[in-house]
Amino acid sequence: MEFTKKQELIYNLPIEHVMRKNVITVTPDTTIRQLKEILRINRISGVPVLDGGHLVGVASIEDLIKALEVGELDVPVGQRMTRQLITVLEHASIIEAVKKFSQFHIGRLLVVNEKGTLTGILTGSDITRGLLEAINLNDHAKELKRNPQIIFREDIVSDQTSLILRYHIKEKDFKSGGSASSKIKRAMEQLGISPQILRRVAICAYEAEMNLIIHTNAGGELIVEIEPELIRMTITDRGPGIPDVEQAMSPGFSTAPTWIQELGFGAGMGLANIKKCADSFTIQSNLGTGTQLDIVIQL
Amino acid sequence: MKLKEVVEVVQGTVLTRGSDLDLEVKYCGAMDLMSDALAYLPPGCMLLTGLKTIQTIRTAEMAYVTAILFVRGKMPDSETIQLAEELGIPLIRTNFGMFESCGRLYQGGMSSVPLTRRYP
Amino acid sequence: MIDLQTVIEQLNLETIASIERQNRPVVGGYASDLLSCAMRGAKKDFLWVTLQSHVNVVAVASLLNLAGVIITEGNRPSPETIAQAEKEKVILMLTPKNTFSIVGQLIALGISGE
Repeated sequence: MEFTKKQELIYNLPIEHVMRKNVITVTPDTTIRQLKEILRINRISGVPVLDGGHLVGVASIEDLIKALEVGELDVPVGQRMTRQLITVLEHASIIEAVKKFSQFHIGRLLVVNEKGTLTGILTGSDITRGLLEAINLNDHAKELKRNPQIIFREDIVSDQTSLILRYHIKEKDFKSGGSASSKIKRAMEQLGISPQILRRVAICAYEAEMNLIIHTNAGGELIVEIEPELIRMTITDRGPGIPDVEQAMSPGFSTAPTWIQELGFGAGMGLANIKKCADSFTIQSNLGTGTQLDIVIQL
Repeated sequence: MKLKEVVEVVQGTVLTRGSDLDLEVKYCGAMDLMSDALAYLPPGCMLLTGLKTIQTIRTAEMAYVTAILFVRGKMPDSETIQLAEELGIPLIRTNFGMFESCGRLYQGGMSSVPLTRRYP
Repeated sequence: MIDLQTVIEQLNLETIASIERQNRPVVGGYASDLLSCAMRGAKKDFLWVTLQSHVNVVAVASLLNLAGVIITEGNRPSPETIAQAEKEKVILMLTPKNTFSIVGQLIALGISGE
């Protein structure tokens, strides 16, 4: 499969470009009691420990718990911190970070410069956000911050950075019909996916999106997961459900009213189109509960 | 056939600004149902349709349709034209109906999209 | 004036319903997949070219007294549509070709439309 542009990005994008620079740190004489407050207030799970500006350890929530269990609230952090430092160089490409995440099974990396001075901190979601920004999906990244419609799994990085795009589709919103599919198509174009594949993905997404708009009572969700070998689309809604799936799949069968046909849809070819474009397509539906489509397109 | 020849043959007007009328369209498909266009149109062709909604533009976007010819004098709204401009899809409009437009293009040498029977 | 039989032969169409009255004249053509457009645009003794094979196609053709309907792209009407066409004496013709090339050929036969 061709993830060329994205792979290129993983290799070329320097860590300093995506890391977080405002790092909260403590010193070895910070007490466990103070550490607890710092972690709680900042909602973080660990902090680097600096001694006179030099990186000497990491104090994590696990260290804190161990100390609390034995009531060592006033013990200095320097005595309980983890001294093993897993660091990456700020000029290294993010592929180095990806390797270390999976090698050490950790969620956070310390970023240092050539002199060993701490310059930032890096998590899996920083990488994903950075990649997105780098592939000009700024609007998605902003949207991610504002409204977590598009979510990225924390374990994404160790899984070869699969990407999940999630869209809420509103029922009967014909005006916006196709805008989610358009975003999906654009995102994939920027990932360097070939037009032949892209066309099939776009058609599946668009037909599914229009189905949610036309047929559902309360809209639904369109989730696209881009993995190294395949693209998986999951479309779910909460009703009304399809009475006879086999019949619904047959070309030309439609329950759409004439006015929807006059909009150019509802001719009973949507599901047949999806089937034609997908490598695998399953549909599960229960009356009253809803419908789920699972579409896979191999890359 | 170049888009400017299409415009001439159907006595059409170009609705989108900044469109490259030297673009070449190899084939042409005529349909009003967008699912049909999605199933049937190969990339690089021109869509003749009487359906003037925003969905027509979205369909062209998804299926890599090069240009759209609106027949029966259909005038899309400004929002629809704007979307087409953003996506770089030229829109042409003719007062001829689907029948006459097809006939004129056919006689002008435009090929039909490859004939395939989609459903058994 | 051209009659239906000539069109059927020249375009190599398959007829599936109401094969009587094939000598009826064809005065013009209309193409659309939208029933509402056909209602407005198609006229008595016109041929209607569409890919729709829905039973309502028969209703429109019957209402307007069309010469017949050419259903394109290999779409096949359901038994219900065929039965309705028999009942309403509507001539349905099928072709694997698409609307664009069928209309092109009709025009080449001298049938005009709007």
